[in-house]
Amino acid sequence: MTSNPPNVYLPDMATIVEVVQETPAIKTFRVVLNNEERMRAFNFEPGQVGQLSVLGVGESTFVINSPPTRKDYLQFSVMKVGELTGRLHRLKAGDQIGVRAPLGNAFPYESMKGKNIVFIGGGIGMAPLRTLLLFMLDNRADYGDITLLYGARSPRDMAYGYEVEEWLQRKDMHTVLTVDNGTPEWKHKVGLIPNILREINPSPENTVAVTCGPPIMIKFTVQALQELGFNDEQVVTTLEKRMKCGVGICGRCNIGTSYVCKDGPVYTLAQLKQLPAEM
Amino acid sequence: MSQHTLELRKLIAEALPGLDVVLAWTSGFSPMTSTPLFIATDEDLDRLDFGPMHVQNLAAYLPSLKGRKVGIVTRGCDSRTIIELLQENLINRDEITIFGISCTGAINIRKVREAVGGEKLRSVETGKDIVSVTTDEGTHTVPLHNVLMDKCYSCQSQTPLIHDHMVTERTGCHLTGEAPESSLDRLDAMEPAARFAFWEESMDRCIRCYACRNACPLCVCKDSCVAQSRDPHWLDQSDTPREKLMFQAIHALHTAGRCTECGECERACPMGIPVLAMKQALNRRIKHLFDYQAGMDEESTPPLFMFRQQEEHIKERDAR
Amino acid sequence: MSTVRFLKARDIAPWLEELSRDRTVLAPAQHGGTIVFCEFDPARGVELSQLSTTPAKRALLPPCETLFEYETTKTLEPPYKTHVELRPTLPQGKAVVFGARPCDARAMQIFDRVYNGEQVKDPYYTARRNNATIVTLACSEQDDTCFCDRVGGSPVDATGSDVLLTPLKAGYVAEALTPKGEELLQSTSFMKAEGLRQEALNARNRILEHVPERSSFLDMERNLLSLFGDLGFWDKTAEACLSCGACTYLCPTCYCFNITDETRGESGRRIRTWDNCMSSQFTLEGSGHNPRPTKAHRMRNRIGHKFSYYPQLHDKTLACVGCGRCVSNCPVSFDIRNAVACAIQQADAAREHAHD
Repeated sequence: MTSNPPNVYLPDMATIVEVVQETPAIKTFRVVLNNEERMRAFNFEPGQVGQLSVLGVGESTFVINSPPTRKDYLQFSVMKVGELTGRLHRLKAGDQIGVRAPLGNAFPYESMKGKNIVFIGGGIGMAPLRTLLLFMLDNRADYGDITLLYGARSPRDMAYGYEVEEWLQRKDMHTVLTVDNGTPEWKHKVGLIPNILREINPSPENTVAVTCGPPIMIKFTVQALQELGFNDEQVVTTLEKRMKCGVGICGRCNIGTSYVCKDGPVYTLAQLKQLPAEM
Repeated sequence: MSQHTLELRKLIAEALPGLDVVLAWTSGFSPMTSTPLFIATDEDLDRLDFGPMHVQNLAAYLPSLKGRKVGIVTRGCDSRTIIELLQENLINRDEITIFGISCTGAINIRKVREAVGGEKLRSVETGKDIVSVTTDEGTHTVPLHNVLMDKCYSCQSQTPLIHDHMVTERTGCHLTGEAPESSLDRLDAMEPAARFAFWEESMDRCIRCYACRNACPLCVCKDSCVAQSRDPHWLDQSDTPREKLMFQAIHALHTAGRCTECGECERACPMGIPVLAMKQALNRRIKHLFDYQAGMDEESTPPLFMFRQQEEHIKERDAR
Repeated sequence: MSTVRFLKARDIAPWLEELSRDRTVLAPAQHGGTIVFCEFDPARGVELSQLSTTPAKRALLPPCETLFEYETTKTLEPPYKTHVELRPTLPQGKAVVFGARPCDARAMQIFDRVYNGEQVKDPYYTARRNNATIVTLACSEQDDTCFCDRVGGSPVDATGSDVLLTPLKAGYVAEALTPKGEELLQSTSFMKAEGLRQEALNARNRILEHVPERSSFLDMERNLLSLFGDLGFWDKTAEACLSCGACTYLCPTCYCFNITDETRGESGRRIRTWDNCMSSQFTLEGSGHNPRPTKAHRMRNRIGHKFSYYPQLHDKTLACVGCGRCVSNCPVSFDIRNAVACAIQQADAAREHAHD
């Protein structure tokens, strides 16, 4: 009689301990698994994702937005776009959600040690970058220069405002903020991310660029990076894809032979070029 | 190759340079099957074939080709679909070139299989009023009349009601004799409880493939289908006769007074469920209430698309 | 030496009835003119004369399966907080699949690699798989839509079967291939038949002699990959397709599923149901972006998955067993054999051209 394998479809129930309204469309949820033992034992790597359940509505995929170095809670940032995210946005502290995590692969943070890192985040794309950024800041000595370019449509649409201020102050990283549409109070750059990136002109020498954002932003950012001399191995991104099972079985999220929920969502540009062009 | 097929090819060849694509048929994986042919080149045209085995309603592709110059080979029943699509502005008349051909009946391959007692079919040949079926056990001769699609028995016109070009080498021939018992006849003869049990059993083997829906030329919801929608959440995804019958009922209601009974829904069903019967029953009601049939007149408005203060056959204020 | 027995045709129904007492029996039966794989009903009997329209896959992957039930309650202390209870509903009980064809049985091994893999195991699938015994009926001949021989199988292939039945005289020679099969053949419905082992082998060889010599669809990966960017090819290939799900749901190897929550009041269940990559909604994202917006994209993915992606991940095994159900049941008679043959031709031509 073979023993039953763990049930990969069964979520852990968790309690929302805090909700932060980042922008009009983005809320951050801080959750703690109800099972203390499992919360203590919960292990993950920066870049991995989870399926959040609102029972009765369904599941959707979000990056674990807090780094593994800070485990008081698990954080997920959610942009309101549809049925599930809409329902999530109506939840408050004390409400119950299901968590199926960690799923997928992680950023190649080991091989990035000793290198300079350039983060380029657009809008909600900042969510996965935040995880890796905080992880690296918590292991600062392992990494070289850290540059962050964070862009949003307008100042209102910038998430993590409370942390961005801190990042701007830090001497051990270089932070540049930009918006498409400025306001009189806006003290930072105004311009599209790829253009500001060209202004910053990071050197590709011993550097890795990590980027995430809307598909069109990634496309032009990658172009700019290539212009600046970054090769395919030096560009890392994380993909968004409709997922269901999260474990590479249900057949929904594949790009050719690669299942984004299992072999991704983190890919280098070199890996993406091996796959059929089907984003 | 028959004269009418040659003539059809000639007509299409002449018009092809001015068209983006012409919809016709060609043989499928065996002489007993057919598949729609999208003619864009002379090479494609060489593959054109026409006969009682070529049964798909090509008009189903027209709405998705709106905006392009499309030719279409059209029989009588197909032309009703085209007219209904025109009535509803789902297609534009000036974008369509209709190659009309008269029809002598479309063969229902399921009925052929039934007629030979389920023996494995090897080939099917059609002659005048007969069908010669060769199976593993031998050759059977079956009257054509016994193995036509249900819709053929209530055919309003073998010749298309509208056309731009007409194949003259062929005239339609009218069906003689009584139509065999249809699914609707059988259902009519049942008590309501038996009827419900019949649908429960039929829906049990339904696999929710939506072939019936996707084959329907008049389905407009398409990707926003209520059967797969969570908002409104009228159906759930479970595999029960209840959910599946609900979908059928909704689809029948959506096509009431619009359905031209082309029969594609029933033909497309891999499980042999007589889904056309529901639509026929509703159309019968529409005919009774509004004296209307879909796809007969380009100018008329389907009765459920409009509202009259006083309907002729609906006596709301009459207690009788 | 494995057990050999004989099963008289007229003993099939009594035997299945006997089995039904302590396990689920799935067998092909006539339902309104269509042969369907379903729970054995003595009143209907079994229909073994032709390939069933629906495959045997529902024994392992049912069209609808509850993953877990959930119930939301309000707590008294602290007041008005919600508590959610989850109750997984793993399948229980044994099953016998009777009258699967070699293509159906082979298909199950294709599921095994994905659902019962090294890294991830699906507990619902493994429970059903471990508790299912597959009794396969070798085919006396191929239909004109069968092409099992072109995808690595054959009408008498025993892969994936616990018992293989070979038609002979007024019944079937039954050979046990696994311990589960051995257990089944202990039933008194079977007659001793050691002497028939050779006759059964001869019968199967005779069947194999009738399989025509034709090209195989194995090793297609390179061809299909090279055609990926040629959307014109896929446009033409998919032009008649209706984007329904007939091919997917009737396919013994298709295994994609959807997960939805279905609630009634305070409680509900999370179910998984067959899903269909030919549907335009399959990859539709919340943002409105769809990586596979047209029939051409989806056809490319379906054929790519079966003849290229899956083999690349699983030792060149094709995710197609050549049963031909998609061909014979497609409302527009789309023929996957044609599409694959055209792809080979097209890719070969492109390679020639590149060398000029």
